[in-house]
Amino acid sequence: MRRTYGYFTSTLIFLLICLSNMRAQDTIMIPLKIKTGLEVSGPVLNYFDKNTLNVEGYFSVDLNEKFSAVLGGGYLNYKYSQFNYEYFNKGTFIRAGMDMNLLKPKKSQGRYWAGIGMRYGLSMFTSEVPYFTKDNYWGSIASSIPRKRNTGHFVEFTPGVRAELFRNLCIGWTISIRKMISVNSPRNLRPIYMPGYGDGGKSVTTGISYFIVWNIPYKKKQVIIQPEEPEEEDIIEPPPNQEIQNNRQQQYPNNNSGSRTPGSRSDMRY
Amino acid sequence: MPLKPLRALMSFIVSYTFFTNFEAFKRVMTKINSLSSLLVILLFISCTPEHCFEGTESYFKASFYDYATQKEMAPDSVTVYGLQMDTSKIYDRYVRLQPAYFPLNPLTDSLGFAITINGIGDTIMVFYSSYYHFVSKECGFTYYHDLTSDSVKYTTNGIDSIKILKRTIRTTNEENIRIFY
Repeated sequence: MRRTYGYFTSTLIFLLICLSNMRAQDTIMIPLKIKTGLEVSGPVLNYFDKNTLNVEGYFSVDLNEKFSAVLGGGYLNYKYSQFNYEYFNKGTFIRAGMDMNLLKPKKSQGRYWAGIGMRYGLSMFTSEVPYFTKDNYWGSIASSIPRKRNTGHFVEFTPGVRAELFRNLCIGWTISIRKMISVNSPRNLRPIYMPGYGDGGKSVTTGISYFIVWNIPYKKKQVIIQPEEPEEEDIIEPPPNQEIQNNRQQQYPNNNSGSRTPGSRSDMRY
Repeated sequence: MPLKPLRALMSFIVSYTFFTNFEAFKRVMTKINSLSSLLVILLFISCTPEHCFEGTESYFKASFYDYATQKEMAPDSVTVYGLQMDTSKIYDRYVRLQPAYFPLNPLTDSLGFAITINGIGDTIMVFYSSYYHFVSKECGFTYYHDLTSDSVKYTTNGIDSIKILKRTIRTTNEENIRIFY
């Protein structure tokens, strides 16, 4: 009986200690969403430059408050011509990967996103050089390269931000940094432009995309948030003792160490 | 091109209004607002066409050597033209030429050059295959050549011998043959 009582008491003490050490926790409801986004800068740029039409979009599903699975794709119609050649490229691309929201749930509230994404990209296209010319000592030579199907593989790193404009409608941008893995064209005839990737002559390309995103909430998730620590600026620390002494010296320069100053112990009345 | 400043201006307006209007950016991105706008403009500007600064001509390159000393020595005078192109000379009594660049014709698989070194005439026949090569978006296409097994034949009036160093003929500055005279 005594042993049981002792065990019960020690368990109770242990629980009390644990409870006293635990910090207070709040929860917040974050809506998980299915998102579908459309890139808008491609059609806008096509208005100014008729030679390039890039249309792309994506679907993504929030796996939790931080991570989303993304599947995207698009279409490119690219024409380029200059004095000595003309080039056509037409094709599609798909991208698949993950997005990670770097904002804390309390800040993001399911409405704001600032984070990074990683994608694998596959580009399928046909390219054609209707004519190219070459001039040298022996005269001018004109030739062409017939249409050919190619595929290319690349990875993409996409930091960006999105914000809710209206209910369930977001707008945002991403910067894209892409690295070519491989392209199945001959080495002497690499693609000038690759759908989803950009300049085929470069091993790393960059770009920026503006997205309008429609969200469909499908689930709410309760997320535990910890109260924020007070920021350093909010804490007013008392000045060090030496500083107080110096201030007193400035206020009462004639006082020696033994004399009385306001607040000193000998000035107090009991 | 009027598109370049127009595109830059438009991207600036879009990015500026976009970056400054939303709470998310005020909260998170205030410090990189101006930097991001600048980046957008730079990205758009960097997409505009540039000039071609790369070599686009694949020359068959020959250096001149003195056969007695086996050392590099530029001739006092060199004249070169393609066979049946004697009205259009590649080099006309060129003084101290080193090296010589012979242009090849991608439409044929062999060419003859008449070469006169220090007043003594010879003929060099070059046998090769050609294929096109994409240099860059700015420069367009060129032709690369590879010397075939027959490679180089020549007369020996003033030329002592020819040594083949590299069979691939590219736009890079690599010596293909050495002419000992």
